[in-house]
Amino acid sequence: MSLEQVITLTVNGSNLSFEVEPRKLLSDALRDDCHLTGTHVGCEHGVCGACTVLVDGRAIRACLTYAVQMEGHEITTIEAVGRPGNLSVLQQALHECHGLQCGFCTPGIVMTFEAYLKENPDPSEPQIREVLSGNLCRCTGYQNIVKAIALAASRMREAAHHGS
Amino acid sequence: MEAEAFRYIGMPHPRTEDARLVTGRGKYIDDIVLPQALHACFVRSPHAHARITGIDTTQALLMPGVVAVYTGKDLAQWTARHRMAPPINGLKVMEMDTLPIHKVRFHGDPVACVIATNRYLAEDAAEAVEVNWDVLPAVTSMVQAMRPGAPRVDDALQDNLLSHQQAVHGDPADAMATAHRVVTSTFSQHRQTHLPIETRGCIADWDAGREHLNFHVGTQAPHPYRTALAARLLLPESKVTVMSPDVGGGFGQKIALYREELTVAAASIQLGRPVRWREDRMENLMASAQAREDFCQTRVAVDGAGRVLALELEITEDFGAYSFYPGNYLARVVAMIITGPYRIANYAYDVKVVLTNKVGNAPMRAPMSVTSWVMDGTLDAVARELGLDPVTVRRINMLQPEELPYAMATGEVLDDVTPVATMEAVLAALDYPALRQRQQHARAQGRWLGIGLCNVVESTTYGSKFYKSAGIAGSGHEAAWVRIEPSGWVNAAVGLGASGQGYETSLANAVAEGLGIAPSKVRLHLGHTDIAPYGMGSRGARGGTAGGGTLYLCAQQARDAVLNIATHTLGLADGVKLRMVEGRVQQQDGDAWADTRLALEDIAQIAYLDPTALPPGVTPGLEFHLTYDPPPMTYSNACHACVVEVDGATGAVHIERYVAAEDCGTVLSPVVVEGQQHGAIAMGLSGSLFEHVDYDEASGQNLSGTLADYLVATSHEIPHIELIAMHTPNSRTPAGIKGMAEGGVMGSIGAITNAVNDALAHLGVTVDQQPLTPMYLRKLVREAQAQTQEIPL
Repeated sequence: MSLEQVITLTVNGSNLSFEVEPRKLLSDALRDDCHLTGTHVGCEHGVCGACTVLVDGRAIRACLTYAVQMEGHEITTIEAVGRPGNLSVLQQALHECHGLQCGFCTPGIVMTFEAYLKENPDPSEPQIREVLSGNLCRCTGYQNIVKAIALAASRMREAAHHGS
Repeated sequence: MEAEAFRYIGMPHPRTEDARLVTGRGKYIDDIVLPQALHACFVRSPHAHARITGIDTTQALLMPGVVAVYTGKDLAQWTARHRMAPPINGLKVMEMDTLPIHKVRFHGDPVACVIATNRYLAEDAAEAVEVNWDVLPAVTSMVQAMRPGAPRVDDALQDNLLSHQQAVHGDPADAMATAHRVVTSTFSQHRQTHLPIETRGCIADWDAGREHLNFHVGTQAPHPYRTALAARLLLPESKVTVMSPDVGGGFGQKIALYREELTVAAASIQLGRPVRWREDRMENLMASAQAREDFCQTRVAVDGAGRVLALELEITEDFGAYSFYPGNYLARVVAMIITGPYRIANYAYDVKVVLTNKVGNAPMRAPMSVTSWVMDGTLDAVARELGLDPVTVRRINMLQPEELPYAMATGEVLDDVTPVATMEAVLAALDYPALRQRQQHARAQGRWLGIGLCNVVESTTYGSKFYKSAGIAGSGHEAAWVRIEPSGWVNAAVGLGASGQGYETSLANAVAEGLGIAPSKVRLHLGHTDIAPYGMGSRGARGGTAGGGTLYLCAQQARDAVLNIATHTLGLADGVKLRMVEGRVQQQDGDAWADTRLALEDIAQIAYLDPTALPPGVTPGLEFHLTYDPPPMTYSNACHACVVEVDGATGAVHIERYVAAEDCGTVLSPVVVEGQQHGAIAMGLSGSLFEHVDYDEASGQNLSGTLADYLVATSHEIPHIELIAMHTPNSRTPAGIKGMAEGGVMGSIGAITNAVNDALAHLGVTVDQQPLTPMYLRKLVREAQAQTQEIPL
């Protein structure tokens, strides 16, 4: 119930200023104040991973972070990754492999692996499963998500190979 | 009816709904922005059972941003009480207030609602509402609930026995008296919850000018929900619109109207402003519907070869504190279909449903989940007792193809199922004899491998006749409309409520098939009660047969009308055969089909804009509506096999292999079906191994209110699942659709538990309860080893 203060966040390359209470979660600020509703809130205690966003390129839980802590950092949300008609390699692979059903957990999974695959271009299935264990999905049984991530990784490696 | 006869049904295309969902452009409840919306937060009981002696809202009303605080007494003026009173023998009537006024019945029961300008402020003020309690002893187990003199959960009832039903078919008593052996087994299934990743939430938006309630809520059954909401708000059903947008999972948790949602709707009407509510995860774990807690005992009379001569089944279900569904809704079905793919003529059951101080039960993906574990677990017990192989006992009791259609002892008719084929396919995939040998070798090396089988007959689609014969209130029909617009594009709707099943893709295939147009030309409109026709919604596995079947029939009606106009337009004689393919009208020419000059849009232009050119008696427009009531029951069948290794030192269960063969008839979309199979199996495994809604035995406190306590399987624990697809069409449903999506839960619960039992069989212990935690398995191992050590050498 403390006083609101003006903060400026850098989200998807734009600077946005708005008033928040110091206790406001980054997940709520992104959704309510930045009007970016692709970041979903599933548990608010850091377990389900649905709210995963990138801060300076690293995947973090937006529900365990206060918005005021994020001044001066680069925040990337699902809205910056791809759009209908122009999906990222990973998003396209999730679509082709039926790696989503209700889709509520999907943005968090996309953000987790957009970051992970940049640093780990050739993960094994156990490695994919280990990293994915930080994102809960109640619909798919994970199998097709794992398949999609492996497919995306191989396509990204191929593209990097041809590009070099 | 051959699967190859279809052009669009069964197309393996990826889903059309994916693009918006993978990019974060889906629209779930919280993504809908309404200006000036207020936020609700509920004050909940910290006690499992207590009288409310006073509620003081003074302090809360003074807090910043607070607009109102409502209690049960307020809501009682604006809403009707809930009354669950279907005319069912052995079922007692239950009523409940919109919010409890006199007493709370579980830890988390809502007693007041704070409305404030944002959610943070609403939560602050909820802390400041003072409730005085007179704490009562809690009923925390079904055994305690049935004890004479136990505290009464519902003061209006004489005891905690909500529902009790029995039946005897054939002469089981005689078979029991004369059998070679009678084998008794027990099965304890623990309490679980649905855990959709999107929790419950809603937005009520009262339009004071039109006196109309626009209500946004993620629901699986929009129309029955609207009926309930309007009735409880004392509004005509024409003044309530329910809209269900993208839904982040339901699994049975989002069917009935919840008290919180009703309260939010009433608040919006009172305040004349939009009011929104989103429960947090703790509320979801403590106060959203729960499921499954039951105890089953079987007694089977067998001959020396393991042939079942008679079966007796007793079920007791812990139903929680409130009746959001009729008490017999879940357990009775288990009793009706327990014999599954087996030939058992003499059968008796006794089903008791009791009230306790826990959250009220709801169906959860496979409300009859325990069925196949109980039946196949019973056959495993017979095998152990008689020293037979579990497969031998299954084979000798299994219905052969020539015995179909087969009337089960309860009168339910099984047809077009293939249990022999699914089981033999799984055994072949496993190389069962070799696997048994490997198990023996491993055991000699001190490694405990276990093989578990579970045969499933899944009741997918409940027709109205089944409800009637099972003594369950409700209709099984579904409704659809198909409209060919003047441009030739097709809109269609059905009364299902999507929560991730991919209906926009699979149902478009059904419409496309019936009409003869590419699925990409068809758009489905679901979840809006003013747009979709009144249907019974998504529950069980009725989406395919009831939803897809109704749309398919409605689209065929549309096609017939289009071809009738085409015959007239082309000036053809009656009897000349026409068909529509990819939106073009074709005419039969000997053994071949020739294109005519007409496409669907040409016919649409005539129907809408040149009605005088229509055949005599044909009215303008191309709008079609149809309702359909499926057969009493439609069944899919499957066989699940699980190979585990149990670590005797730690009690950990490692799943080495998982194979399932499922025959779910004609499938609308194989992509969607495979995803449903994975998801159902994962939910069953997760529930069997980890998940547990845990109430303290003495106080009734909920001990599993976070995801650190309520454990759910991650990608690490769920194994790779091998699937064998089979597609024997149903001869009595449109297009031969059978439906599926819950059988995977039934099969996996049984397969993994039977496997763990098999791994520990050499110790002489029996696993008869879930979850299969390391602590539980270690306890069994310790006890067995202690007994062995007591035997003097």
